[in-house]
Amino acid sequence: MSTTADDVSHAPAASTSPGIRVTGLHRSFGAVRALDGVDLTARAGAVTALVGPNGSGKTALLLVLAGLLVPDEGEVRVAGHDPVTDGPAARARTGWMPDAFGTWDSLTAREVLLTFAAAYRLPRATAVERAAELLETVHLTEYADRPASVLSRGQKQRLGLARALVHDPDVLLLDEPASGLDPRSRVDLRVLLRDLASRGTTVLVSSHVLAELDEMADDAVFLSRGRTVVPERSAATGDGTREWRLRALSLETLTTWLTSVGARWRPDDLTAGDGPPGSGGVLLPVVGEEGAARLLADAVAAGVPMTGLAPAAGALERAYLTLEEERR
Amino acid sequence: MSRMTWHGVRTVALLELRQRVRSTRWVVALVVWFLVVGAITALTWAAIGGLGAGLGATSGDDRVLTGPPIFGAVVFFVLFLGLLVSPTLSATSVNGDRNAGTLATLQVTLLSPVEIAVGKLLAAWVAALAFLAVSVPFLVIALAAGGVPVVSVVVCLVVLALLLAVICAIGLGFSALSPRTSGSAVLTFLAVAGLTVLTPIVFALSLPSVTTQEEVRVWTVPATYDWESGEPPECEWQTQTMGVSHTERTWWLLAANPFVILADAAPQARAETAGVSDPLGAIRTAVRSARTGPAAEQDWCTGTFVSLTADGTAIDEPQSPVEVPEPDRSLVWPYGLAVNVLLGAIGLTVAIRRLSIPQRRLPRGTRVA
Repeated sequence: MSTTADDVSHAPAASTSPGIRVTGLHRSFGAVRALDGVDLTARAGAVTALVGPNGSGKTALLLVLAGLLVPDEGEVRVAGHDPVTDGPAARARTGWMPDAFGTWDSLTAREVLLTFAAAYRLPRATAVERAAELLETVHLTEYADRPASVLSRGQKQRLGLARALVHDPDVLLLDEPASGLDPRSRVDLRVLLRDLASRGTTVLVSSHVLAELDEMADDAVFLSRGRTVVPERSAATGDGTREWRLRALSLETLTTWLTSVGARWRPDDLTAGDGPPGSGGVLLPVVGEEGAARLLADAVAAGVPMTGLAPAAGALERAYLTLEEERR
Repeated sequence: MSRMTWHGVRTVALLELRQRVRSTRWVVALVVWFLVVGAITALTWAAIGGLGAGLGATSGDDRVLTGPPIFGAVVFFVLFLGLLVSPTLSATSVNGDRNAGTLATLQVTLLSPVEIAVGKLLAAWVAALAFLAVSVPFLVIALAAGGVPVVSVVVCLVVLALLLAVICAIGLGFSALSPRTSGSAVLTFLAVAGLTVLTPIVFALSLPSVTTQEEVRVWTVPATYDWESGEPPECEWQTQTMGVSHTERTWWLLAANPFVILADAAPQARAETAGVSDPLGAIRTAVRSARTGPAAEQDWCTGTFVSLTADGTAIDEPQSPVEVPEPDRSLVWPYGLAVNVLLGAIGLTVAIRRLSIPQRRLPRGTRVA
């Protein structure tokens, strides 16, 4: 297998690119089964969210996809190549941004990108152009010629993203890319990833900020204890029913009223203890926005001292919370 | 895939050197090195030069007497400092990057493990060569003390450069093996200590095990000789049983020592009288006679008695029939250098294997990224 600079420098805007396919992936570290049956498909041209609690195997999965770990079992195809048997071909098309990474502190941001361009064997002229373009994209042009040590955490994170993009990969693997980013940069990241996806790149993002993934992901893959799981769909049924969070100054008044009208409420553990004594909230399935408006009007009419009514969580979060698995 | 291109090696080496030059007190280290080697050169010159003058040597002989010791001392000191500094140049290069979270991002690029390992070794070696370059003026100054051929400087520098490359490669190997930077640094220093200090100690301690009781032909004074007679004895052959050390079985322990390699590779000092006053030459003679092993015959007679004529001049002794054993003239340093280069090659190979991805097993206590 020979990979020339030409193969790398122009990633075809490939809707034909096969994206990521993983079937029956297992990987143990000693007695710990980090990956215990992962099946996953990430479409080219789409942003796929990788969701799971801490220790569920997200990072291990990304390491296998990036070509750093040999799986014990299972089949993996990244951009059509097996990262184990055909490593260089897969790596040439894969951009990877780990959750924790360092930068060479005494190199400037531009030198970091040029070094990686050289490591991906881009021709020098292309590399210079590409580095300038990426620095512009991640808004680091101002810091281009300053040592990376002066960059803030968020800026380093952006530089890491630019580094992962330097060879214009077909497949982008991002492990917690939004951590440390300010709100503006998060929006930029979302726009950038949507843009890359629209040009045919396969984007796989793991994050804990579910609301954010909600806004940018087309698909979601849930990982729990090293397995991909299909969340119960009960929380999001077809008729638009979703869970809303009700808060009132007097929890007792609220629950008494809800029980008297026969509503299927349940206690809201997440916000218990917030607010003044006696206040509190419950969770309640409500059909659509109209249902919510009616509920509020009725509650107020019944004399419940309401302080809030809002959708309990985004679709991903709801799906996530239905996973009957514990953190570890 | 283990291909190696100059482009890849250069990319890694430049990265390492840039990082090193900018993030460490590099210039300060070189200046300190320059001052220390300079001070040692001056002190050696003053001490040995003074000694030569004290022996009443005339100017011409003086140079013959003091040149080789000054040169030998300076060369050995440069090797000594180089052995101390080199481990720090490479012994943290793999695990340090791994801890800093920069290694994995480099591994997933199209750089092959060979390119990463060789690039890191090259960077460490270039740094070591910078120290060597700073020492060159003092080697030239020591040369001015006389008695040492000019080519010695070149030979010594080449051997020093090779030895430092070996130490860098050993350090690289340990840095790929050990998860902690402090661990790999200690292991590398232990390896250096093993080569320099442990080899002569083991050689000395192994002497009893290679010493056997053997019958040796001795040219000696007959037991019947009357020591009061005033007449010179007629020496005769006797066969005696005594302990004989077969150092020809253990000489290679000395050969692996970097100081021995350097001494043996250095060209012979010019003057015939240099003999003992040339430290490099003395080590060379010692290790080569150790390699030759014990002689089959010994002369205990010649030179024991001096007979004088009436006017006080010595009478020539009869010719001794004992053959003076010729020390092995064959070179020792190629063996020693080969052992060292082999150790360095093992270090580099270990580093390449540990840098290969995708990884099957993780070193204990490390994360991949």
